[in-house]
Amino acid sequence: MSNELNKDKVISIESESFLSFKLGEESFTIPVMKIMEILEVPKITRVPQAPNFLVGVINLRGAVLPVIDTRIKFGMSAIDFTINTCILVVSVMSNDELIQVGALVDSVSEVFEFSTDKIKPAPTIATRYRADYIAGMIQEDDHFIMALDVDKVFSSNDLDSINTASNLNIKEHNGDE
Amino acid sequence: MDQMKAIYIQEANELLENLEVSLLSLEDNPSDKSNIEQVFRVMHTLKGNSSMFGLAVIAEFVHDLETIYDKIRQGEMTLSKEILNTTLASFDHLNKIIVDSELQDPDNKKNHAELIQRIHALIHVEGVVPTPTKVEEVAKSDVLTLDGKNRTIHISFEPDETFLLDGSNPLLLIIEITQFGKSIVVPHIKPVEDILTFDPTKCLTSWDIFLETDVPISQIQDVFVFAEMSASISVSEYPCVELISNETFNKKVSELVQSESLISVEMISQLVKELGIAIETSNTTEISESEKIEIHSFDEVKIDEVKPDVPVANSPLVKEKVVSSIRVSSDKLDELMNLVSELVTTQASLTLYNQKNETPELEIISENIEKLSRRLRDIAFGMTLVPINNMFGRFQRLVRDVSLALNKEVQFVTEGGETELDKSIIETLTDPLMHIIRNSLDHGLELPETREKLGKPRKGTVKLKAFYSGISVYIQIIDDGKGIDAEVIREKAISKGFMKPDDVLTDKEIFDFIFYPGFSTAAVVTDISGRGVGMDVVKRNITELKGAILVESKVNVGTTLTIKLPLSLSIIDGLLVDVANVNYIIPLSVVDKCYEVENRQMMNNFNELLVLDDKQVPFINIRKEFGYQPLSGSEKSQIIVVSDAERKVGISVDHIVGEYQAVVKPIGKYYKNQDFISGATILGDGSIALVMDSHKIIDLYTEHVKYDMKS
Repeated sequence: MSNELNKDKVISIESESFLSFKLGEESFTIPVMKIMEILEVPKITRVPQAPNFLVGVINLRGAVLPVIDTRIKFGMSAIDFTINTCILVVSVMSNDELIQVGALVDSVSEVFEFSTDKIKPAPTIATRYRADYIAGMIQEDDHFIMALDVDKVFSSNDLDSINTASNLNIKEHNGDE
Repeated sequence: MDQMKAIYIQEANELLENLEVSLLSLEDNPSDKSNIEQVFRVMHTLKGNSSMFGLAVIAEFVHDLETIYDKIRQGEMTLSKEILNTTLASFDHLNKIIVDSELQDPDNKKNHAELIQRIHALIHVEGVVPTPTKVEEVAKSDVLTLDGKNRTIHISFEPDETFLLDGSNPLLLIIEITQFGKSIVVPHIKPVEDILTFDPTKCLTSWDIFLETDVPISQIQDVFVFAEMSASISVSEYPCVELISNETFNKKVSELVQSESLISVEMISQLVKELGIAIETSNTTEISESEKIEIHSFDEVKIDEVKPDVPVANSPLVKEKVVSSIRVSSDKLDELMNLVSELVTTQASLTLYNQKNETPELEIISENIEKLSRRLRDIAFGMTLVPINNMFGRFQRLVRDVSLALNKEVQFVTEGGETELDKSIIETLTDPLMHIIRNSLDHGLELPETREKLGKPRKGTVKLKAFYSGISVYIQIIDDGKGIDAEVIREKAISKGFMKPDDVLTDKEIFDFIFYPGFSTAAVVTDISGRGVGMDVVKRNITELKGAILVESKVNVGTTLTIKLPLSLSIIDGLLVDVANVNYIIPLSVVDKCYEVENRQMMNNFNELLVLDDKQVPFINIRKEFGYQPLSGSEKSQIIVVSDAERKVGISVDHIVGEYQAVVKPIGKYYKNQDFISGATILGDGSIALVMDSHKIIDLYTEHVKYDMKS
């Protein structure tokens, strides 16, 4: 009896809550611990000349929160705002600093418990998405959900490479005129 | 104790700053008595502070320095260049040892000994016997009994009951006195009348001090200079008598002490007579109860003579200064700022609500609150800001010393000293700026002869300039020296492996190499600069402050280094405008004038110039620059003319909404490449407006134009 109890405890420590959400038809998930809150989409103020996945900034109770279009980050078309569209306020470690960022997703599905040791490693090939964005695969019934490494997905580090490209675009654009 | 020490160091730093200012003005005008007085006074306070904190090494050092200025003050010495140089060197040394009061650093120890020797040499050169201090007592005890001319001084020191209230410690004064020579100190304690009403803050002790010494009486009086306001002090002199060495006298004194009777001047005179030692009558007549008054009047007269604009003694002045400022922890200030920011935001909502509802009563209230919050904001921010002038002053000295050492003639100009910056930023900025100025003097400016050959004025100019732009502060160090040769830097960078020989880089990129660690182009490494350890540190320091540094240079014309720093001000007065339905704030500090023009005028404009008030003004079409659709030709645009350093540039926006007090918040790392937006602010309706940095926008635009021309 006591043995079984112990077993339970071990499982409960190693299982984690996840929030799953959809981008198009694809399901993704983020540990609930990383998500501060879920917002309806307010008025977003766009920052000119920013890379296109940076949708703009919103007012989060007096603080300025940058919002990222997660779809563009994953190589899909820009988000279409529907009644289901919402913003996940995610807390991200970026350069040893905890920052908050809003992630636009098509819809939020559910919160579920999953034992961490059952998460399967991400396939190294045959994925449409950048491998380092995916922390692992979670199998639920007959379909897979991709568990994201939020620190990597929403890192501000790859801005430099992206931005040089967007700057060039502007210059080319101007040059054409 | 650490906190106490921090206070001491802070005060000492302030004193030293004052000292430096006085010393430098003394250099320009050596006969200025008020400056000598000021130097003396600062040294005296520093000495007092140091001994109060038990930092004997510093106290003794300052004491020796003070001796020189005391002599000068009293006309016994004249101020020579040598004295000034030594004082300035000592000043530098003091700056170091206030944090190393035990002289743990061997360099400091060495310097200390050398400077003490120099100071003593100076005192001796002028033919004056140095006043003995503890150091000398150990080092050369022969000074004390130089020619047996010691006499006995009797000091009766009776502090008022309130003496202890302002933190004065009578024991420190007595210790100082006893360091002048052999001494006997006899305390008298007044009986406590009633233990129940006894107030421990009252000083109930008085002292009789017998001192055998050769120091002048004025110096003994100086010890009590800050005490005489709240104590009765009488000093009497018995010339040519060494009472303390006299056994009979000692015996008698201990008898008197045991009998607990007060020692009166008469009794001592009696004693001296009994001992059969002749006393010069001229002095005995002075030994009376009225002595105290005499000392007072003497002091006042002296001060009147020297500094007519200060009618009273020094101590009240010093006290006033202390009362007029208090120290507040920066945490509290931060909290105050946050609250003010919230107040401003709330007030914006109120204004908006009022605009929608148009209630006259509410309007009055709303306006009043706006006024009050604006004033509150200014005061709150004013507390953390200091004018950059405080820092500029220090560089005067640096330029003087360095140019002297390098045999260069330099005119140091400062501009915009009233520009205010956060105190902590100013502190971090001092070292980098010092380094840059040093570089300008050493590598930038040529020797006077070379300059003449080049047709430049003999005197080189180094200009330090500060100004606001957007929500940034710019500091420029401009010299008219030989400039930086991009070719030399290029070769050096190639030899150091920072770039490949076939790399094509702009001058700007090449100049950036001077910030690489281990990069120095000076052929000769001098004491002053050129070891190549500096500029990378400078860049790092400035980056830590979230600032940026830029080099522009032309060979034989000069070099300009521009440092851009974020203004700590998080609330600004701005002009709220609208471009393509996005709200922007342009800081009011840069806005010069607003005009209304038809879009047609801007569209058919070939060289992007508008004629406004009969002047040609270049303009930036923000819609175009930010990638929005252009407006149709018949619509009207607003042109906001902003000043950017010396030029004026127009920025076109769709509408001007009005003036707005904006609490600027960072927009985060994601937008670090959109640095023409320096922040965001939340409007009364909860939406966000972006704060423009006009300087950056103009830069960006200029770059685009250049790119267009190249392609």
